[in-house]
Amino acid sequence: MYVEAQTRLRCMWTIGAKMDTSLKKSAPHKAYVRVPDGDGLVAGSADHDIVCRALARAPAKRPVRSTTGAPVANLLLAALPSKDRQHLMASCEQVDLSFGEVLYEPAERVRQVYFPADGFISLLSPVNDHASLEVELVGNEGMVGVPIALGVDVSPLRAMVQGSGTALRIDAASFRRELDFSLALRHELNRYIYVLLAQLAQTAACIRFHVLDARLARWLLMTQDRAHSNEFHLTHEVLAQMLGVRRVGVTNAAGLLQKHKLIRYSRGNITVLDRAGLEAVSCGCYRAVKDTYERILG
Amino acid sequence: MPTPHSPKQNHLLAALPAAEFERLAPHLELVPMPLGEAIYESGERLQHVYFPTTSIVSLLYVMEDGASAEIAVVGNEGILGISLFMGGDTTPSRAVVQSAGYGYRLKAQLLKDEFNRAGPVLRLLLRYTQALITQMAQTAVCNRHHTLEQQLCRWLLLSLDRLESDELTMTQELIANMLGVRREGVTEAAGKLQRAGLIRYSRGHIQVTNRAGLERETCECYAVVKKEFDRLLSDIPLGDPFQALALASA
Repeated sequence: MYVEAQTRLRCMWTIGAKMDTSLKKSAPHKAYVRVPDGDGLVAGSADHDIVCRALARAPAKRPVRSTTGAPVANLLLAALPSKDRQHLMASCEQVDLSFGEVLYEPAERVRQVYFPADGFISLLSPVNDHASLEVELVGNEGMVGVPIALGVDVSPLRAMVQGSGTALRIDAASFRRELDFSLALRHELNRYIYVLLAQLAQTAACIRFHVLDARLARWLLMTQDRAHSNEFHLTHEVLAQMLGVRRVGVTNAAGLLQKHKLIRYSRGNITVLDRAGLEAVSCGCYRAVKDTYERILG
Repeated sequence: MPTPHSPKQNHLLAALPAAEFERLAPHLELVPMPLGEAIYESGERLQHVYFPTTSIVSLLYVMEDGASAEIAVVGNEGILGISLFMGGDTTPSRAVVQSAGYGYRLKAQLLKDEFNRAGPVLRLLLRYTQALITQMAQTAVCNRHHTLEQQLCRWLLLSLDRLESDELTMTQELIANMLGVRREGVTEAAGKLQRAGLIRYSRGHIQVTNRAGLERETCECYAVVKKEFDRLLSDIPLGDPFQALALASA
């Protein structure tokens, strides 16, 4: 039942399904889930068994499939009418994203647009020459190369692969043709940009007001969503760069989360042990951004 | 002497080709925008979009506990209500007038219709959106990495660029709200700038006496944002930028 539920849920950018398997081991079997239940959402902290029942009740949503029969993992693509999607995907190629790979640098021409499947990408705003700050984290819920959709060919941000995996890639010129071809694509991307703007605003304010522990918890949750796994690799150095703080700050904050048994962290390997707990520690920004996404694009 | 009002004082409106401008012009309504007025509350349904001419508006992100911080400023270079044509009917931020003046407003539906024609208005507004994204990302960086004094300089410079005079009418409380800090912090930072001879500050009036000095004091964020706005919005290829871009990258 677990496997089945996971498959159904994955295509809806819901969280929690995968985490439950890990929670089997840990008492008191609490989990936070948001799963579609008829026309509403079941949300909240629940017992392991209740989670299972909720997942079992979730209506089976047929995964969107491409012409080759493979499911379309990117949610923006999956939401397009099939004619528009097939037209777009005909110009896409599947590529591997490897950790640390830079897709474009600030002030460089953006030559390609990426729709991540299971890899995820950081958009970093550089400060001076040494430091930077992560302003977006893009996984299968989004796309990289937004400037192209806005009619601009240069980005002020650096796009760097944060989680290895795959993505569909299309060159900028072909993508512009697709934008002219498909009104549905244009509308879907506009909505995505709306969510992006809301997220940026939230991030700017979050940085101003929220303590590092809360921000770290937020980034870990966002990463977990995009990694589709409760285990991922992030060194202190990368985390410090993401959050715009010094390494020692990350070490302390991560230590605190570990002490409360929310995560396990060793040599850059992070395991989320208690997602509900992490969410309780994180600032409201995590939930707010997620809600906006679901409201506008869900 | 007050100059007569014209929609073309707004750079976006001024950049429109004649046909588009003529179509919108009869529907543009001049409105006063007094200091401190909230043009939108966050989460509110948008009835109008605004093109500021002589006013400056702050976009503020309001946290759950009521604390707020500025994420962008919009003046005669821009438009308020981006979210409308991006497919959200409500705005995620609060928009507050930070420098009194005027602007033109347009019924939301009219702009949506124009946007959906997929012509020059769409292209112009999309470019503006990219400039806004840059400003917001840079604000996030600035909030994290730079001193309050540097941020205050940035904020003064961004405001000055959107005004015709070198004087701002502004209370310390409003500045504190914009920058998301306590009033005492603003008093201290403004005091430093005043002692350095860069501004004169008295009872809610800030006069910039040494602009070059402010530019020296501020962080890189000001230049990054300004450069991006200039690049994206000064020489706008409205004919068919997608084609122009395709040619350029070929």
